[in-house]
Amino acid sequence: MTQPPPLIQAEDLSVTLAGAPILDHVSVQVSRGEVVVLIGPNGSGKTTFLKALLELVPHRGRVARAPGLKIGYVPQHFARDHALPLTVARFLAIYAPNEKGVVAAALARIGIEELAGKQVVTLSGGELARVLLARAIVHRPDLLLLDEPFAGVDLAGEATLYRLIAELRDELNCGVLLVSHDLHVVMAQASRVVCLNRHVCCEGAAGAVIRDPAFVQLFGPRIASELALYVHHHDHVHEIGHVPEGADHPHGPHHG
Amino acid sequence: MCPKAPIILTALIMDSFLWRAILGAALLGAAAGPLGCFVLWRRMAYLGESLAHMGLLGAALGLLLGVAPIAGVAAVAIVAGLIMARATDRYIPSGTFIGLVGHVGLALGFILLSTMETVRADLMGYLFGDVLALSPFDIYAVAVGGAVMLAALWLLWRPLLVVTVSRDIAIAEGRDTRLADLAFLVLVAGLVALALKVVGALLIVALLLIPPAAARPLAKTPEAMALLAAVLGALSAPLGIAGAYVFDAPAGPAIVLAAAALFVATSAGAAVQQKITRSG
Repeated sequence: MTQPPPLIQAEDLSVTLAGAPILDHVSVQVSRGEVVVLIGPNGSGKTTFLKALLELVPHRGRVARAPGLKIGYVPQHFARDHALPLTVARFLAIYAPNEKGVVAAALARIGIEELAGKQVVTLSGGELARVLLARAIVHRPDLLLLDEPFAGVDLAGEATLYRLIAELRDELNCGVLLVSHDLHVVMAQASRVVCLNRHVCCEGAAGAVIRDPAFVQLFGPRIASELALYVHHHDHVHEIGHVPEGADHPHGPHHG
Repeated sequence: MCPKAPIILTALIMDSFLWRAILGAALLGAAAGPLGCFVLWRRMAYLGESLAHMGLLGAALGLLLGVAPIAGVAAVAIVAGLIMARATDRYIPSGTFIGLVGHVGLALGFILLSTMETVRADLMGYLFGDVLALSPFDIYAVAVGGAVMLAALWLLWRPLLVVTVSRDIAIAEGRDTRLADLAFLVLVAGLVALALKVVGALLIVALLLIPPAAARPLAKTPEAMALLAAVLGALSAPLGIAGAYVFDAPAGPAIVLAAAALFVATSAGAAVQQKITRSG
């Protein structure tokens, strides 16, 4: 199978904030049709990496975007302002001018048509998360970049929304780069997992990454073995020979 | 009811100059309303105030160099705006730096103006404005400038709104934020130049803040708020100038007070409506 050319490619991204290294030569690429999940502990530089990729923070290294790439971005934090009157429908329409029906279609796809007339400042955390996702797809992007997009959503809703992202990937034929802390849900939807802790610790299919010694070192043997069980039950693509009892039998690709 | 009403009527009928003053101030108010919405949404009242203070220095330099004060004000405000836009929070909060620059401009401008024999009598006009003391050229400049600014805001509306709603999303999705930022700065500087002799350096920001604040409780979309702010800003001019006639008060402060009265009216109206909705 040949990989299509990447939509976005980061080469050797390094970020230093106030003298402290935040990211150290990180290279990640995302292609059409992939759901790449970026995981890592707090302070590992996940959000900073996404911001560097989007030119929101100064960085060294190179970011190459496919020509004419349309990006849909869901930031981790979205500041709302009471001084600005803004209905949900108008919020989406700002990003899709002169196109009839796309706002209604985006709201319907996420299942939040009833929020169209609501003021953005009055939305609950879960509603805002869905509105931000609808906003990110309103212009039919080639690449979705989602930074902890469902932090304010309850558990049941979160699982549904992660499945929705996999569906959107197929419908829009786009690539997805997702930052998440929720390892369980993420593992079930990822085509590829990148494990970040200032540098890329390990990378590959979910089933392989969780048995990588670098992953076990980062998240601890207990989480690694729990996830191994989980991935075994949920993974319909990758053959897994056996479920490791603990972290002492790593089978994944080794890295530095 | 109003003993001086016949005087105003006579003045209006007799004096086409007064009509021009009202029209100029109204167009200025109409442009300041929507622009002020962005000042409010982007929390840049401090920047606006500092640019207005710099306007006094601009007027002084314009007079010194023998060019129209309005051109001096615009030039100095744009340069000052570009300097202020570079302020970072590295050692002191950026607002402190912006305020510092603005007050230097105010102090320096005041000193320069007070050394000019012919201007000294007009100093109050520079600080608090007097639309009725404007030359016919100035009045036309204010009217045409106000109309041009309204047109520019119409054309730049979406890029300005995109940057206002979320700068990060705008940059991330590859939208041009520099054009919107520069345009915003130039528009505020332009408004300062037009408004300096109408409401004065110390009251320009009132023109940017009060009509949008009055429009906010009545609006559900940014466009509705901008339109209402334009209407309320324009309305403040004839109300204020009429008030100035009746009470023999300076016209600039009277326009600001008229805008404030509209703010009180819409806020009270919104509060009453909310009470009715809740109890009903």
